[in-house]
Formats: sequence, structure tokens, C-alpha cells
Amino acid sequence: MSKERKKLDFSNYLKRTEQITERMLTSGWNEACSTIEPLSDIILGASEVVVTMDLPYVDPNAVQVNVTADDTIEVQAKTKHKIRLHEMGVKHRKSEFNLYHTVLHMPVPVNEEGMTHKLKRGILEIHIPRQK
Amino acid sequence: MSKKGNVRETSGPVRVLQRKPLPRKFTLMNALPDVGLVGVVAGSQIVSSLGMKEIGAVESALFPPLVVLHDGVPKSPIRIFAKESLAVIIAETAIPAGAVYPIAEAIVSWASSTGAKLVLSIGGMAVQNRQDIESPKVFAALSDKKLSRMVDGAAEVLGEGYIVGAYAIMLKRCAEIGLPAIALLTQSYYNYPDPEAAAAAVKSVNKVLGLSVDTSELLRKGEEIRLRGKDIMKRTQTEMARINKSQEYDVPPLYG
Repeated sequence: MSKERKKLDFSNYLKRTEQITERMLTSGWNEACSTIEPLSDIILGASEVVVTMDLPYVDPNAVQVNVTADDTIEVQAKTKHKIRLHEMGVKHRKSEFNLYHTVLHMPVPVNEEGMTHKLKRGILEIHIPRQK
Repeated sequence: MSKKGNVRETSGPVRVLQRKPLPRKFTLMNALPDVGLVGVVAGSQIVSSLGMKEIGAVESALFPPLVVLHDGVPKSPIRIFAKESLAVIIAETAIPAGAVYPIAEAIVSWASSTGAKLVLSIGGMAVQNRQDIESPKVFAALSDKKLSRMVDGAAEVLGEGYIVGAYAIMLKRCAEIGLPAIALLTQSYYNYPDPEAAAAAVKSVNKVLGLSVDTSELLRKGEEIRLRGKDIMKRTQTEMARINKSQEYDVPPLYG
């Protein structure tokens, strides 16, 4: 591997580590964009990557999954109605949310072709073939 | 255990503060956050349904420096509620990995010194195909085989496997000192709050303790519970990773 390539890989690694750390440390209620970062899980299989996501209140017909790069997917899912923090007992913030949004890095490059997703019992399950 | 005024207090890195007396031979239920937040959700339903009153708290410098405001009053994030012969320890914050041993030791030590007759811990047991399970099963890990009669019809006794976390330490410690202990572990999601699993856990508790706590609210408010539980679940995930909670998926190497 060339020095340039090594540098690039390390820089990517740092960037991803920062993103993962940020995701772990922030609460996931993005008030500026009125979006909620959902809880998610990534399982690496032999031929595919399986991503699951908890999406309470989601409208099953308003879920969008896109592969935005070889190793990145973006998920947007509208809720059935607006979720207002003050209705959940939070009096000092008046924010409302109607969209789940997340960008997830895959552990390996993936292929959008053949990708499927289904929503079952409020859990989104995405199957994405690995690149060969 | 020391006594300052009406407050009984254990010593050590984690302190149990008991502000009101409990009857001898009470049952202590633990509702701490772990897999699927089953314990916290089930415990919360039991506390509110039975109208239990706050009688104490669990405090430690090992916990995050936070209080939870309820009706404008600052509360400890780990509190003790009681009614008649049942006490429940319930947490509203993730238990830091470094506090798992001390909190388990402190709770067992306090339960033993105050005359508890049973320590009943409520938690989840992660299963990967949870989405395909309509009715989550409840399993029981026991400090003593003789307790299997208590869970007959309420849970299936766990024979082999790993349990990781505060409940594991409590079971082991209780077995050592001869204090009966049961951990009721319900099939659940690993990373997502699971009100359906919590409802199954409450039904099992009802059978073991002869209670009649309603579970329909947990199912009716399932989506709200999942959304409200999102943040504590995320923080719990981080702590579960630190204590290798996923080892519960492992198959024990020895048999017999």
C-alpha cells in the first residue's frame, strides 16, 4: 500500500471514529433540522450487510433507503404525526419532529442493486448485498 | 449499615439510603437498565400500577453527576419504591460499567441486612430473531435449584448459559450467602426498548408474586415507550458493550 493511500485510510478511519463517537455521545434529537436519529444496528454477513432500525410512530409508506457511497447508506422515514417534546413532558423545549434521519457507514462496500427493506413491528430491516 | 435519624445507610462506594422502614421478609425487585430495557419498563409499570411510594435511593460517586426532575423536585436517578412487602429498585440512567460490581454488592448487602426473603431481578435476554417472535418467552436463572417451584408456570428454568452484568453478580452473591434470588429474563431486542417483552415479564412477575398488574398499557403505549426509552437505551448500549454483555450469546464450552 502506498504512503498516500495509507494516509487516506487513516484519515478516513479518524473521520469515522469521530462520527461514531459523536453519534454515541449526542442525544439524537436534532432540533435544528427537526429530525430524530434512530437507534440502529449493523450485522455483517457473508454475502450481505443487515441493518436494523427502531422506528416508532413511523409511516410505513414513507421510508426511504439510499446507498449514497460504496460504504454509506442514508435512511429517512417520516412519522405518522408530529412528535412534540412538550407533549412528552419536556417543558423547556418546544421542538417538534416528523422525520427520522441517519447516515450509516457500512463495515464493507455494498451494492445498491438487490437491496431490500421491510418494516415489521416497527423495526426496519435492510438487506444490502456486499460488493464482490 | 449505619442509621442517621430515620435514614438507614450502607457504606462503601455505592450507598443504599433507606428513608422508611420495610417489613421483615419483603421481596426486593431489581429493575435496572439492560437488554431491551425490559427491567426498567416492567418495573415502571409495576411501580405506577401498584401506587408504590418512594422510600429511598441508591447513590454513588461512580454514577454520572445528575439528578432527575420529577414535578420540579430533584430525584436520584436510582430510587427505591415500596408498598407492603414489595420493594422495587428502579434506575432512570444507565449503570456505568465501573459501577456494576459495587452496585450489585451494595444491593445484596442491603437486602440481606434488612431481612429480604427474595431478590427478584427483571431483565431481558437478547434474541436475534426477536421480530419473528409473537410471544416472548421468560426464562429464570436461580440462585438455588429449590426455587424452581416458585417459577413453575411463570418461566422456564435456565440450565446452561452466560449471564453478564449486575444481575449475574447479584445471583452469585445471593447464592453464596443463602439469600434466595431469581433473575427473570425475557426474550427481547438487544439494542431497542421492548415494551412487549416487558409486558411478558410483568405477567411472569404476576404469577411468581401473586400480583395482578395490568400489562395492556405497555402494549397500547408501545410506540411512546420505545421513543421515550431511546436515549437511555443508547447510553445503556455503550455500557453493555463495556461489560461484554454480548457474551450472553455465547455457548458455554463445558457440559455436565
